[in-house]
Amino acid sequence: MGRPGLNRRQLLTGLSGLTVAGSLGFAALGTGADALASGANTRVAYWNLFSGGDGYNMIAMLDAFRKANPGIDVKDSTLQWGSPFYTKLAMAAAGNRAPDLGVMHLGRVTGFSPGRLLDPWDVGLLAKYGVREADFNPELWKRALVDGKLYALPLDIHVQLCFYRKDVLKKAGLLGDDGRIVPVTSVDEWFDVLKEAKKATRKGLQTIGMWSSDQNFQWWFFVAFYTQLGGTWFDDADAEVTFDTDKAVQVLDFLRRHITDGYVDPGFAGGAGAEQFVNGGPFVWEGNWSVPVFDSAKLDYGATPLPPVFGEQATHAESHAFVLPHQADRGGAANEGAHQLAAYIVQHARQWAAGGHIPAYTPTLSTAAYKKLNPQSEYVSAMDHQATEPKVWFAGSTGILAQRVGPIVVSSTMGSARPDAAARRMKSTLTELLAMKNPMDGRTAAQGGAAA
Amino acid sequence: MTVTSAETVITATRARTAAGSAAVRRKQGFQHGAWFVAPFLVLFALFVIWPLLRGLYLSFTDANISGDATSFIGLDNYSEALDDPLVWESLGHSAYFTLLVVPCITVLAFLLAMLAHHIERGKWLWRLCFFAPFLLPSTVAANLWQWLFNPGTGMINHVFGIETAWLTDKSYAMLAVVICTLWWTVGFSFLLYLAALQGIPAHLYEAAKLDGANAWHRMVHITLPMLRHITGLVIALQILASLQVFDQAVVMMDFLPGPEGSTRTFVQYTLEEGFTSYRVGYASAISIIFFVIIAAVALARMWLLRNREEGGR
Repeated sequence: MGRPGLNRRQLLTGLSGLTVAGSLGFAALGTGADALASGANTRVAYWNLFSGGDGYNMIAMLDAFRKANPGIDVKDSTLQWGSPFYTKLAMAAAGNRAPDLGVMHLGRVTGFSPGRLLDPWDVGLLAKYGVREADFNPELWKRALVDGKLYALPLDIHVQLCFYRKDVLKKAGLLGDDGRIVPVTSVDEWFDVLKEAKKATRKGLQTIGMWSSDQNFQWWFFVAFYTQLGGTWFDDADAEVTFDTDKAVQVLDFLRRHITDGYVDPGFAGGAGAEQFVNGGPFVWEGNWSVPVFDSAKLDYGATPLPPVFGEQATHAESHAFVLPHQADRGGAANEGAHQLAAYIVQHARQWAAGGHIPAYTPTLSTAAYKKLNPQSEYVSAMDHQATEPKVWFAGSTGILAQRVGPIVVSSTMGSARPDAAARRMKSTLTELLAMKNPMDGRTAAQGGAAA
Repeated sequence: MTVTSAETVITATRARTAAGSAAVRRKQGFQHGAWFVAPFLVLFALFVIWPLLRGLYLSFTDANISGDATSFIGLDNYSEALDDPLVWESLGHSAYFTLLVVPCITVLAFLLAMLAHHIERGKWLWRLCFFAPFLLPSTVAANLWQWLFNPGTGMINHVFGIETAWLTDKSYAMLAVVICTLWWTVGFSFLLYLAALQGIPAHLYEAAKLDGANAWHRMVHITLPMLRHITGLVIALQILASLQVFDQAVVMMDFLPGPEGSTRTFVQYTLEEGFTSYRVGYASAISIIFFVIIAAVALARMWLLRNREEGGR
């Protein structure tokens, strides 16, 4: 018998083969090993887009859920906010690798192909875990329905706010006896307030930060003030554009005037608004997620919804909502776990409210713990006058509508386009979008019916 | 058969044998070589050729991101692209960026290389300083410059005593991206120039000196002509890289297309259409158009260079 037929080359081949096989094997084991390690019977995969303060709050809430439900292991993944998140979620759902539970902006649900990329919630199962339609603001619940089925379970609404420094406003005589900003009900009153505040503002600081060059914020502010004027976008059938250019010009003029009258420094056009506010600027228009930032800076400040300068109360609102990404074989313990987890977090949103968001689950709002939160309780009324984007497939946070129309609003605010020209461009863009087919199903908004 | 003819036959046979064994060696060499290039070819086919063909096919369809409900729509995407103002606008932004970057980087790289080549003290430090930024990932470079350009706390405005809204004013935003790119990528062209400078024989300069040529003459008549090929290479590489600008612009603008869309480049628009609007078919069509443009630029450059060389002969 000769020597065993193993030369150096064969040995190397064998070893590399083993390495590859081994790593593949471990990779395959990885997912199962997590569930085994926790000793849980059910495993719920959950994707979210919460970073920063929201991320900490969500993790704290998940930990509380795990403690209360040792039988369910939650495998949470935090992904990059915005388009990348929606792209991954869509591809995972299309490729049947979707997580059991996901988070989306409510405005994006309509365009996310409900029925193909999203599965509807089992309302009975949600009720079993304590969550019912009656516990939500009706407008919010309506936005989550597509063809009569619930495709999103709202967690919060988040709104654009007018933050003010009490120390500066006190000096300017703009604080009422209750320690809050004097009420403002018209454009003239608002600019009078700014005029007085400017006198009390330290040199080198702008009076108000309003993200004048940011396409998302400017679009959100436009939506708020246009809604205050009673403006509409499309008819009920989503077949005709009903956008009112005269009203749009009023809003665009109003936004632009902050710069021409010298209350906004175009040099601090972007995110520097919050920085200036922390340093002593009297006002900043920001999302409610800035509450933890200003809290940690230990400022003496308050926050109201955007001022009702056109008469009606309305401030821009979006909403984080739980969704069930499409799974071919949705059902069973993981699906029930997803319902249980979402219901738990929605009901325990006091922690979530610390991040500035208004909990969607209305019983939370009347608790003493929530009422004690400041300035949250000052702007909780925003729940009742939400200004939202139209319910069409191309709308929603960072969606196509914001991407196409936002820059037009900015061009007017920053002064590179006249408000009337910008309003006409907005209308023609809305017309183009309404005629555009949803790439997911090849139908226009009008052909899409309730699913738009 | 004569002796002479016999010798001829033997010589011929030997030659044939030699040629035959050379052919065998070549064949063997090819077989061995094929194994070495096979991994590359497989990856190239898998990650370049196949996606390209697949993209070409998708460009004739209305494919969406989920990959289903796709139908063949012929040239519709292409005709839409020609009428799409954002295609032209974003193409214009990429071209504008290229026009600003290429001449600046070529001149700057040459000047820095001259400096690093001629300076005597601390030579290594200069070389490190000029090349080091190139080693940074694009996100790091872009974030760094985002801070530097910050209107309130940034160093640029502070040092120059100005109040320019670099990243939020549409007249300056692209310029800011260009400045970041110059700092970040000049190191690569600098290195090419430095190597070329070191390759110029010293005796040329000595002879020129003996003939009374001053520094300017030596630069114009020796250095620049000897660097002609490298200059051509630097320009070609920079044009191709600059046309594809994407990452630094996107990061500096916080993943948005810049003030009023002023830094939306062609690659960014393709990404938006494919992954934000979910129009994979349309995004494929415009990326094929972009591929053709870039290939045309590369071919034009090759053709120009060949003509110039033939003309010079």
